[in-house]
Amino acid sequence: MLSAGEVILQQLMNGLILGSFYALIALGYSMVYGIIKLLNFAHGDIYMTGAFVGFFVFGILAGTVGSSWGGVILAMLAAMCVCGLLGFLIQLLAYRPLFDAPRLSLLITAIGVSLILYNTVMIITNGEYMFFQHSIPAGGLTFGNVTITWVQLVLLAITAVLMLVLSWFIGTTIWGKAMRAISLDKPTCRLMGINVNKIIGLTFFIGSALAAVAGVMSCVYYGSLHYFMGYMMGIKAFTAAVIGGIGSIPGAMLGGLLLGLLEAAGTQALGSSWKDVFAFSLLIIMLIFKPTGLLGKTEIERM
Amino acid sequence: MTKKWLLLLIMVLTLALFAFGCAESGEPATEGQGGEEQAGEESTGEETSGGVIEIGVLAPTTGSEAYYGNDMVQSYQMAIDEINEAGGVLGNTLELFVEDDACDAAQAATAASKIISAEPDFVVGGYCSGATIPALQQFYDAGLIMLVSCANSTNITDLALEQTFMINSPGTHAVQTLSALLSSLGVTKVATIHQGDDYTKNLSDICEAQLPEAGFEIVAVEVMEKGAADVSAIVTAIRNAGAEFVYWCGYHADGSNVIKQLRQGGYEGYICCGDGSASPELITACGPDGEGVYVTSPPNVELAEGGEEYIAKYTDLYGTGPGAYSTLCYDTIYVLKEAIETAGSTDYEAVRDAIQNIEYQGLSGLIKFAENRELAVSNFIVMQIEDGAFKLIEP
Repeated sequence: MLSAGEVILQQLMNGLILGSFYALIALGYSMVYGIIKLLNFAHGDIYMTGAFVGFFVFGILAGTVGSSWGGVILAMLAAMCVCGLLGFLIQLLAYRPLFDAPRLSLLITAIGVSLILYNTVMIITNGEYMFFQHSIPAGGLTFGNVTITWVQLVLLAITAVLMLVLSWFIGTTIWGKAMRAISLDKPTCRLMGINVNKIIGLTFFIGSALAAVAGVMSCVYYGSLHYFMGYMMGIKAFTAAVIGGIGSIPGAMLGGLLLGLLEAAGTQALGSSWKDVFAFSLLIIMLIFKPTGLLGKTEIERM
Repeated sequence: MTKKWLLLLIMVLTLALFAFGCAESGEPATEGQGGEEQAGEESTGEETSGGVIEIGVLAPTTGSEAYYGNDMVQSYQMAIDEINEAGGVLGNTLELFVEDDACDAAQAATAASKIISAEPDFVVGGYCSGATIPALQQFYDAGLIMLVSCANSTNITDLALEQTFMINSPGTHAVQTLSALLSSLGVTKVATIHQGDDYTKNLSDICEAQLPEAGFEIVAVEVMEKGAADVSAIVTAIRNAGAEFVYWCGYHADGSNVIKQLRQGGYEGYICCGDGSASPELITACGPDGEGVYVTSPPNVELAEGGEEYIAKYTDLYGTGPGAYSTLCYDTIYVLKEAIETAGSTDYEAVRDAIQNIEYQGLSGLIKFAENRELAVSNFIVMQIEDGAFKLIEP
């Protein structure tokens, strides 16, 4: 039996970890929506692809670099590059020709891309589960009956660092400024000499790379991967982005963590069969009072 | 203008792709027609030999349960090849064709229709109960005798279809075995985790119904969505409920994840898995966290009489060892063979009655049916993971 304090501490940790996965993926949804108003439904599958790229690179590296943190970090970097490029290519081939088309056409294209990624990985892996076996030492910090493993701490640290770097990038660099400017007014940016297409490509690259990090992290943390892992994760992350206020970067981070914590709280309070009902009921109530999400801005459509 | 030409080119290529796809799928269709002709021959003269008895297989050859699905198909094929080499059944050769249900209810319905349209003489298969049940009614309507090799939800029994037989013991038998294990371990507080689908929820429901009667307390019933990565919140809830024994009712692919997170989350009590997890893959996927885990399992070929010979032959043919349900499938074909021989034809009524009255000692145990077309005697065993291998436990 755990004491009440221990349960709260443990569930808080569970919620934070799950929330960081949601947050990392939600960032990609939010960035892309902010800049081209597209709900990129292929994003969950990029997360899944990232996990598989990480898995295969890790398998190759395990012999030389070892299967501990060294191999994991390298696999993560490789997955970031591959998925970043993949995101960029998808944008270039599938979305860019439709930038001026009605927004629904773009949405359907995104669903199509999602199906292509999903089915490709299914064929390549024969639809089988893969198991990610690393040799990262177990153990961690112990508080009474509660143990917080090193893996959990490192994953939280990676998420925190990535979020800080991203905030800095969007807030201060010239590219980040361009991104924010484009999300405000694309035609004017073009008139001001900003290479809009290039910045959009960059946004896809960064968003996809972040999803790949989440993918590799989930391999390390959960140990198994399969071709449909991106589906539920994508939907939850999309929800997180909406809670935070879609288009808002800090909103995506906050929304992800909040959804993770709500699910943990729901499991504890009402049982696992009710956790989604609990989390999503609260979300509906919240959105009734704040329809733009926690940090979203009310959009004024100019006539 | 160039853009339009490009568009046209893409459209033509897409159409070409479709045409190509159709050409490919055309082949099995003609095969199916051939089958019909043969079936026609048979019906005109059932006593004459030299025909083909076609058996349709419903199995998840892709998706999360692809490992079992392919294992099923290979086991059927092995039995069929043996029978054909020995002269077939009443002089007819057996032939197999497979449709994939992907362990998905919607796809199973489509697969069942495809099987029916190919007009086989019998149908075997069925791994995931959730995907098998929607197909069963279709087979009944089409007048096809169905031997369910693996799926064992009592919901199948409840359908009460007169031509559907279950070769595997239903979940109620598993819980009897589980209850014996619990008594021998001396624990009382039990938590179950299922995945919300037909088979796993059914097993959990049986625990909830039967275990309290036997003097055990169910302290938590949790649900893990299929393929969900995170169960840490469930683990904390289970620890908080004070469970001494966790029964995982789901499949092995998610099972390893549950076991690892139970151990990582600091749960130190007993863990036991249902028969959906009785796979050597569970051991490799769990690694050291799997040590000491119990499994209520269908008959294990390694521990069966004559099992070694079976494993050697299977390994020789397919390069890997047989899975947990392999012998059930193998026996399914032999049950069918014996029934056809007893009936003297492939006539629906005659074969159905022959199966109902069969008494066949297979590798998976004694196959004999009760009135409700479930096995009359339970075939469950308890195994424990020790030093990276399954070991038989007498509860």
